[in-house]
Amino acid sequence: MERIKEQIRIATIFTPGRLIKPVWFDWHNRKHTILETTYHWKEQTGAATLLHFSVTDGEALYDLVYNTLNQSWLLNGIEVK
Amino acid sequence: MDNRVVMHLDMNSFFASVEQSYNPDLKGKPIVVTGSQQRTVILTASYEARKFGVKTGMMLYEAKRLCPEVIMVPADNRKYTHTSAQIMKMMLDYTPLVEVFSIDEAFLDVTHSLSIFNSAENISYLLKARIKHQFDITCSIGIAPNKLLAKLASEMMKPDGLTIITPDKVSSTLEHMPIKELCGIGKKMERHLNMMSIYTCGDLGRCDEGRLKRKFGIIGSRLKQMGQGIDDSPVIPAEDAEEVKSVGHSMTLKRDISSRNEILRYLLQLSEMVGRRARRYGVAGKTVHLTIRYADFSTFGKQETLSCHVNQSDDIYQGAIKILDSIELEQPVRLLGVRITNLCYQREQLPLFEEERRKAFMINAMDTVNDRFGDFTVTYGSLLGNNEEKGSHVISPAWKPEGIRNVQCV
Repeated sequence: MERIKEQIRIATIFTPGRLIKPVWFDWHNRKHTILETTYHWKEQTGAATLLHFSVTDGEALYDLVYNTLNQSWLLNGIEVK
Repeated sequence: MDNRVVMHLDMNSFFASVEQSYNPDLKGKPIVVTGSQQRTVILTASYEARKFGVKTGMMLYEAKRLCPEVIMVPADNRKYTHTSAQIMKMMLDYTPLVEVFSIDEAFLDVTHSLSIFNSAENISYLLKARIKHQFDITCSIGIAPNKLLAKLASEMMKPDGLTIITPDKVSSTLEHMPIKELCGIGKKMERHLNMMSIYTCGDLGRCDEGRLKRKFGIIGSRLKQMGQGIDDSPVIPAEDAEEVKSVGHSMTLKRDISSRNEILRYLLQLSEMVGRRARRYGVAGKTVHLTIRYADFSTFGKQETLSCHVNQSDDIYQGAIKILDSIELEQPVRLLGVRITNLCYQREQLPLFEEERRKAFMINAMDTVNDRFGDFTVTYGSLLGNNEEKGSHVISPAWKPEGIRNVQCV
């Protein structure tokens, strides 16, 4: 998986029950519509809780990370088939 | 050793998942992967088939009875080895300490990778996501302080699970865990332990070591440690693994046979498979073993030590014939196996005499053609006329991405 570590613009739905569902994100001037979130998990780094979402747009796998402390979204990594 | 972080990754119903991944028509359907079509047992059942009670090791007619709509898919080694090798390669992105345990299982020691990847849980999910993305296969992962517990943990949630046993949870996890769940405790050992009123890992860990030693000898101490969740065995990457001690193939025949000519034909085919693999990896064996399983499943083996190390198919074949001629077959034969042991490595010497040298060149040429165009593209004339597909149809759980391993052809 290639490391990207770039902040991104993203649309997410916060559903009742504290579920977060990423819907699309912009990266490299392209809108990527998320077709599936395969896994999501939590990671603790210092005071920050990072919520990872492994998502796919049908072409590549993306590791999106939501930092709950500063409320930013990061494209952490990408893997193309 | 208790500060280690070890992961065990187990691909869920691997062969069936690979087949479903390659052929989307099979997705969500009950399928079983089999060896040769009629006589083999089930190698893997998809989770959809498992819901009907279909299990690995069942005869095909039993599976049909339980699930009439089950789809039987003949095994395709190349797909499985390719997929497995790719997945094992992915693991190396997280640690160099990867021990391939079988074609669908591996241990990873990630103790020293945590400073880069933060947690073993992080590594696990990244691996799971990548495997799912690339191959549409799920896996179960166990994280624990050692291999014994990591394997136990990965078995606790299937399919697609992730189970973590932290050092402070070891005792409570093991307390009521049945002993048979521990890797290394088979049915026979379970029976012996049950006779000593030991049913759970907690019972085993508390049992007097002397009592276990009196009953089981030297492994008594090891058993007690297993009950306590102690395992110091390291994760050994392929390059540090011990050299293999044998090269062998076995084959369940499509029907039981008694005719000597037919048996010889299968022996030649098996000898060629063993010889080819031995030559590919530059080993030769001094002892040839023949394994025979009769129609009633009783199995026996006999060995013959030769005057020199051999890896040419014909020499292995002659050794196998010598053994066959020294025994009286009691029943029709169901399975045949040929194996060479007593191996020597890096054996490469050009024969002195012209005839032998020509034979060596010919075998080398045959191997080159077969490497390029597939096994048995060029083969012995006596194997012709046999319309059954030759070669290895099924890969053994002992498969590793590199190097020689014993392969069973069911």
